[in-house]
Formats: sequence, structure tokens, C-alpha cells
Amino acid sequence: MTTINIMVGQAQGNVPVTILRVEGDIDAATHKALQDKASEVIESGSTHILLDLGGVEYMGSAGFRAIHAISNMLRDDDSTGLAKSPHLKLLNPTEAVGRVIKTLGFDVYLDIFQDRDEAVSSF
Amino acid sequence: MSAEQVFDLSVKARLENLKAVRSYIDRVGAELGVNEQALGDLRLVVDEAVTNVVHYGYEDLEGIVEVHMQRDGDSVVIRIRDQAKTFNPSHIENPQLDTALKDRDLGGMGIYLIKKMTDEAEFLSLPGGGNEIRLVKYGAIQAVS
Repeated sequence: MTTINIMVGQAQGNVPVTILRVEGDIDAATHKALQDKASEVIESGSTHILLDLGGVEYMGSAGFRAIHAISNMLRDDDSTGLAKSPHLKLLNPTEAVGRVIKTLGFDVYLDIFQDRDEAVSSF
Repeated sequence: MSAEQVFDLSVKARLENLKAVRSYIDRVGAELGVNEQALGDLRLVVDEAVTNVVHYGYEDLEGIVEVHMQRDGDSVVIRIRDQAKTFNPSHIENPQLDTALKDRDLGGMGIYLIKKMTDEAEFLSLPGGGNEIRLVKYGAIQAVS
């Protein structure tokens, strides 16, 4: 059975940032765990999420659907057009995951960082 | 290429077996000398194709999915076969990649990735029932310069 581990951390940028660090493969069998965990922290009050993908060796379209859903859960109604989300950012994707991010155009709408501190302070 | 092929991975069409399917692609890909970038693409497209078989072919009911991967010159050919109802996703529209995430529909990304990351993607209905997806990646067995 495929599973993923999701660790929840907190950091302080200009606003409080919740860091979700995922370890494991995000596929159609596991993506819901990520979506559910994000939903849980958002319901608990998190408004800014940094999704740490450093421990994700594989992510298929199901993972991108989860990220899309998380982005929708966090969206502010006054964000407009093509601006990048101020609420959801990605950290440290592998090269393979990064190529799919670009192929699906997610890099146009989500900031991607390689450095955790830089990512946190960008919020 | 012979018409009768041995499908050397046969698993129950369940999402929990996706990792085993990806491991098969990794293992055979290494044996065939597939370069790392092509292997990443093939791992992805086969995962997407089998996910579609589970969800839309068998509609999450019991079934078997078979996978065969082989070399053809410097290309890799992968066939994925099932006994599910006819499912041809060729007509599915591409995701709205130039639209902000909040305005996009969820879904449609799997088929897009299959088409985008292979050089040939055919969705065939088998005469005796079931489907075969034939995926070809050119130049997969070459060193990445």
C-alpha cells in the first residue's frame, strides 16, 4: 500500500506560514491525504501554506489536482487574473517534479523556491 | 514486432498497485538503458494511463491491467492492456494551461501529460473486448547530452 507522510510545521514570515512537508510519492492513491491535511490546517486557521516537495520523488496529475484544490481553498476573492498566489507556494521540487510543474503551467501561477528561509520571508 | 506479446506485468487494476507499475517501468527501463529524463516521462505517462484504466475503464471495479515495455531501435514502446469497457480519451480537451488556477477546471491533466510526454499515443479497442494503449517515446535509449 502506498502511503505518504505529511509533517506540519510553522514559520514566521511577514505573516504566519504553515509548512507542509510531504515525503513519498503523490499519485492517485495518495493525493487525497495531502488534500485532507491541507484542508485540516486551513480549517484550523492557516491562511498561508508553503508546500515542501523535497521528499517527493514522484508526483502525477493527481498531485497537481490536490495542489489546485489547495490553491482554491486558500484563494482570496480579490486576487485577480494571472497573479501568482500570495497564499500557496512550493518549495524544493525535484527536477522531475519541476518539469511536470512547468509542463502543466503551474509555475506561472505559483512561486517556487529552493531555499526555505527565502520562501518563508516571501509571504 | 510480433503481434502476440508477453505482457510481463499483470496486476489488479487498483490504485494501490500504481507504485508497483512505476517500479516495473523503472526496472525494465534500467535493463533497456533508457535515459533518466525519458524514464521519468515514461513513469509518469504509464501511471496516468493505468490510473485512467482504474477510474474510467473499470470504474473502480475489479479488473486486471497488463503492461509490456520493450525496445524498438532507440525508441521505447509500452503497451497497456485491459478488459474494461471501451474508453477512448482522445476527445478529452486539454486543460486550460493559460488560465489562472482559480479559474481552471480540475482534471484533464493526465491525458494531456500522456500526449505531451510521448511521441505516439494510441488508444485502441481490442476486437475481443478491452482496450490497449500504445505509447512510444523516441530517442529514449540515448545518453542525454
